[in-house]
Amino acid sequence: MIEIRDLIYTYPNADEPALKQLSVQFPRENVFAVLGQSGSGKTTLLNCIARFLTPTSGSIHIDDKNIADMTALEFRHTLGVVFQRLNLFPHLSVLRNLTLAPEKVFGTSLSDARKQAREMLERLGIGDLADRYPAQISGGQAQRVAIARGLMLQPSYMLLDEPTSALDAQTTQDFAAWLTELSSETSFIIVTHDLPFAEMVASHGVYLSQGEIQATGNVADILQQVQQPTS
Amino acid sequence: MNRFFLNSNLLWLVCCAGLLVAMVKPAHAQPTAEQKPLRVALTGKFPPFNYYNKQGELAGFDVDVANAIGKRIGRDIEFVATEWDGILAGLLGGKFDTIIGSMAITPVRAMQVNFSKPYYHSGAQLFVHRDNPAQVYSINECDGLKVAAVLGETYQQYLDQNYPSIEVVTLKSSVEIFELLQQQRVTGFVTDRLVGSWQIKQADRPFVPVGGMLYSEDIGIPVRKDDTKLLEQINTALDQIKSDGTMKKIHQKYFGLSATVSGTGKTSMSDAVIAKKLIKGFAVTIAIAVASLAIGFVLAIPCGVILNKPKGSMVILYWPVRTIVDFLRGTPVLIQLLFAWMGLGLSPFTAAIGTLGINAMAYMAEVIRSGLMSVDQGQVLAAKALAMNRMQTFRYVVWPQAFRVAIPPLMNCVVALTKDTALVAVISVSEVIREAQAIISVTFEPTKYYFIVAVMFFIVTFPLMKFASMLERRIAQRGYSRD
Repeated sequence: MIEIRDLIYTYPNADEPALKQLSVQFPRENVFAVLGQSGSGKTTLLNCIARFLTPTSGSIHIDDKNIADMTALEFRHTLGVVFQRLNLFPHLSVLRNLTLAPEKVFGTSLSDARKQAREMLERLGIGDLADRYPAQISGGQAQRVAIARGLMLQPSYMLLDEPTSALDAQTTQDFAAWLTELSSETSFIIVTHDLPFAEMVASHGVYLSQGEIQATGNVADILQQVQQPTS
Repeated sequence: MNRFFLNSNLLWLVCCAGLLVAMVKPAHAQPTAEQKPLRVALTGKFPPFNYYNKQGELAGFDVDVANAIGKRIGRDIEFVATEWDGILAGLLGGKFDTIIGSMAITPVRAMQVNFSKPYYHSGAQLFVHRDNPAQVYSINECDGLKVAAVLGETYQQYLDQNYPSIEVVTLKSSVEIFELLQQQRVTGFVTDRLVGSWQIKQADRPFVPVGGMLYSEDIGIPVRKDDTKLLEQINTALDQIKSDGTMKKIHQKYFGLSATVSGTGKTSMSDAVIAKKLIKGFAVTIAIAVASLAIGFVLAIPCGVILNKPKGSMVILYWPVRTIVDFLRGTPVLIQLLFAWMGLGLSPFTAAIGTLGINAMAYMAEVIRSGLMSVDQGQVLAAKALAMNRMQTFRYVVWPQAFRVAIPPLMNCVVALTKDTALVAVISVSEVIREAQAIISVTFEPTKYYFIVAVMFFIVTFPLMKFASMLERRIAQRGYSRD
């Protein structure tokens, strides 16, 4: 469970906080959705959870451990991140994208890392991409490679930022099915403004608006709640 | 004075004016040939023998000798300043009566004119610092030592040919030679005995001539073959001037020493020597380029990183590095070279490699900085998400990407620096340009040898440029730019 306690984050030189004393719990589910329109603060929240930003006040706990107290290695074993722009390493092959951190950071031997990476790619159905470079694969394939790269560290949670932003409708559907299958082993937290996609993959979630929680619970209910005022 | 052949329109005017005066004057005075002023030609460009002083009047050893001769033969002297080229033709054509302009007596000239007895001797002379730390008392004791000579004068070549074990350091002018000897970075220098003595006196340096002259030249006064009477008068006058001490006085006035000794030395350069010099020079060029590039590149990486304004402790280094890089890029390399050499007192080779090295650093640091800037910040975040520390992020993620972007402009730096090595000739490093200049000063074939040197440079830079474009293509093929 990811627990956020009284989280405030104010950007340098900003008048108002982007996150206004947020307190919320993300139960460990297959896929949990963090929803909200652009500017709602969900990316700021993601950056705080991923330790890319240090909260102005408040704390974040993953499985009852304050993330601020974790070592880098421990933390990255706990939580993986896949960026909206994926940020694959363009100078490295797909296989090397996967093996770099296990080898250089976690001290796995290169041959073991390669073996694990090939297994991972096979498991995710992209085994044939191993020797390609990021520029040589499609957006949907790159999305899966980025997730595979994150999964190499075997995190308990995977945070996906706007996973569908670069995918067309068909690819989004394929991806949803693929993610659902994968989520039986790893808990995914998807941060998205794509509500239909969220409904496809997640049962529960939270809805953020202007730095505050507007709704929590069943994704279908949330959608109804947030869509009612406008309809 | 065969080293001086400058052209000047002004001197032509002076010359023509002199001729006009010479033509007009007799019409009024109607003097006899004996009473007419003796027209004496010189260039006025050969201090201290003949030159224009601060008042714009002709002065010098030759001028004083001419006036003394005029006094002895009872004729006024009318000086005709003319170019060295064609001065003999002017004498033969009757434009003036004689030349008292430090003309060496040579067999070729003696076929055209009659020379007086020598009125002075000069020649190649070794000068050393008065302290003489190397305890050198003649050119024969200079084996393995550094002896300086002015580039383009015949002394350098004379030394190379006759004293191969002396390390000859060639410089642009006596000014730089004096500076080096003052700092005792050379053992001594070789130049014309009298000109050198005068320059030392002018510059007020503690340098003294040691040993005899390496070779000497007799300097005489030429007259037309048919002008036997004038020749006789001049010889008589010279004898008188010498015996009554006038010559000694004039000598003292300009040089404070006297010269004797005889001998000759004429040289030429064989193709084998030329090839050896060029190859040796080019090896020095390449060595300087490689060493400077290595230093430059190694220093450029941290400087480029600092210029990219990283977070953390390195920020305090930003302004110092920025200032150094801007200063190096904003000032002429030539000045930096001279400063390192003269100002900091570094050896020419160290000054060359050091200056070119930090210059390469400045330019490469900017290239590396822009390479680093081109790497998306998302890459750093991705590395962070994979638990990489800053060093790992730089080494495995940021640097490889930045370097690929930087390769083409870095290769430009390499080519530019290789060409910049040409500048180090100025601080007396015997690289290929300087060797070529030395060759040209003897062969007088600048087109040929400068072209050969240009080709030598191109043979090195062309593959570098091809290599750069090959790397660029390889990166493009990988679809790198699409990401």
